[in-house]
Amino acid sequence: MDAEGLEGFRDFVDNRSSALLRTAVLLSGGDRYAGEDLLQNALAKAAGRWERIDEPEAYVRQILYRQQVSRWRLKWRRRELTVAEPPETRADTDASSAAELRVVMREALSRLTARQRTVLVLRYFEDLPEADVARLLGCSVGTVRSTTHRSLARLRVLAPELAALGPADAEFRSSRDHSPVEVRP
Amino acid sequence: MNVDDLLRDTLREQAAEQPPAGPGFADWVLAVRRRRRTRRLVTVVAAAVAVVAVAVGVPLLDSGKSDVRPSGVVGRDRTSAHPDQSPPRELIAAGSTALAAYYIPTTVKKSATEKVTERTYWLFDRKSGTYVKAPKWSFVAVAPGMKTAAVLERTLPASRIGLLDLATGEVKRWMPVGHKVGGLSFSADGRKLVATTYTYNPDANFQPADPNVGEPEKPSSRTGFYVFDVASGKSTWGGVAVGGQRADGLNTLINNRQDFAFTSDDRYVWAGVPSEEVNKLFYDFTGAEVPAPQNGDKYLVSYIDAGLSPDGKHVAGDFAGEAWTTSSYVIDSATGEKTEIHGQELLAWADDKSLVAWDIGKGDSGAGKSEFHARLVLVTIGSDKEVPLSGFLGGSTDVSAGRWKPVFAQR
Repeated sequence: MDAEGLEGFRDFVDNRSSALLRTAVLLSGGDRYAGEDLLQNALAKAAGRWERIDEPEAYVRQILYRQQVSRWRLKWRRRELTVAEPPETRADTDASSAAELRVVMREALSRLTARQRTVLVLRYFEDLPEADVARLLGCSVGTVRSTTHRSLARLRVLAPELAALGPADAEFRSSRDHSPVEVRP
Repeated sequence: MNVDDLLRDTLREQAAEQPPAGPGFADWVLAVRRRRRTRRLVTVVAAAVAVVAVAVGVPLLDSGKSDVRPSGVVGRDRTSAHPDQSPPRELIAAGSTALAAYYIPTTVKKSATEKVTERTYWLFDRKSGTYVKAPKWSFVAVAPGMKTAAVLERTLPASRIGLLDLATGEVKRWMPVGHKVGGLSFSADGRKLVATTYTYNPDANFQPADPNVGEPEKPSSRTGFYVFDVASGKSTWGGVAVGGQRADGLNTLINNRQDFAFTSDDRYVWAGVPSEEVNKLFYDFTGAEVPAPQNGDKYLVSYIDAGLSPDGKHVAGDFAGEAWTTSSYVIDSATGEKTEIHGQELLAWADDKSLVAWDIGKGDSGAGKSEFHARLVLVTIGSDKEVPLSGFLGGSTDVSAGRWKPVFAQR
């Protein structure tokens, strides 16, 4: 990287790293340090081809999401947990208030697989349509739809308190539903 | 509200809570990238050895010597300092070491003649990035990598050892013991655990009911140690006598709590001995005394926690106080030669040349100023610079309120 590229890279990181880090932490299930690792890797990769990147933010974000998914492909689950039963203490908790439900939801999110969480973050935090999520992750729209469906079902297993809530829109649709999807212009 | 709304709100709330990325993030990324490129050049040669090293977290290459990577954790050698926090709320770390936990000791009177020093631990929680109180445990040893800790329940000595998953706060496995345990320490590679066995609480102190009677005779209840293979849970126990006046004239009497730890190569265990002539003794895993290993271990100081540097070339020594009001010795492992370094007490090596230490503030060095007004600092061999890492300890003596004791681990 030449001096100009270096300055551009520094400017980009100074201006955008806080926003990117927020996404990275969510992708990592709320683990700040795993989020920093994830972003560090993505930025290091971007730095390697900085002068050839047209849209740095889109490029870095794509690496962030795909890194998470490829971690899943490698079955690298160092920070993920698979629990057969929901924790006992949760079942008796009267998590009626919205704040308590958010705590329960946070905990459940951290127990999803990286792929499940990535799809939910893209759909519900970045508010991306299914087609965009599919393009970003390099998979089909059907896969995004079924992963979303399964992830929501998993959240309900992990957090029985969510039973009181109405189903998400995605839960109304079958994962086998192949009806036309919205596409961004 | 449906699940959609709750999911959106939760994610937004969690995102909004994140503090901004620290200044210098770009430089950090560039440094990481430079280091990786260097490392890539030697990867092929090191590949065979790396299979072992990745699993256990041993620093291998000179190019990454400040980048110990225990069990899959991406190396971060950034210094994380919070000079306004005491006890710390957020991570304190430098180089390859981090403050994995701290504890606050309190003295509880059990009877007219017995007092017990109890520890309350705060463990670093990666998820929240803060230290979280863990009142269940009376003793905690954090394994290299800061993913697992070995813990003992409240009543000491304990009849089982827990392996705590630091990510979830849940005990993954209990290891029952026949001889009760009062102290724990991991090997440098995290694969072995030495558990010191006692028949009575090692943190109990006895005082005569009548202060004029003098010190009561109450020898340490230490009986020996277990060496556990952490993966399989298998263990061996070696008995060690508490010591006393020996035929060779040396006194090997020990403190009530005198825990064993592994030597730097994990082949033997050692424990301190208060007598200055003896200072420490080494044992094989059956409990038989062995001569001091012919490496830096022979210069270990029983009450200085830092021990050997990662490259084994230096040993953290005792208080010096010659060149500066507060300073310590660093001993050359090969020659035994001592050099002075800033720092009142050396706690943990951050890399081959730097250590985390307690030290007093600049204004505290004058005559009559408090030696107890100390904070964590980063000091470096051959450097006059001290980087503050924590706020100052509260209280004016070592038993005052506001004192906390650090527990370091390789991160």
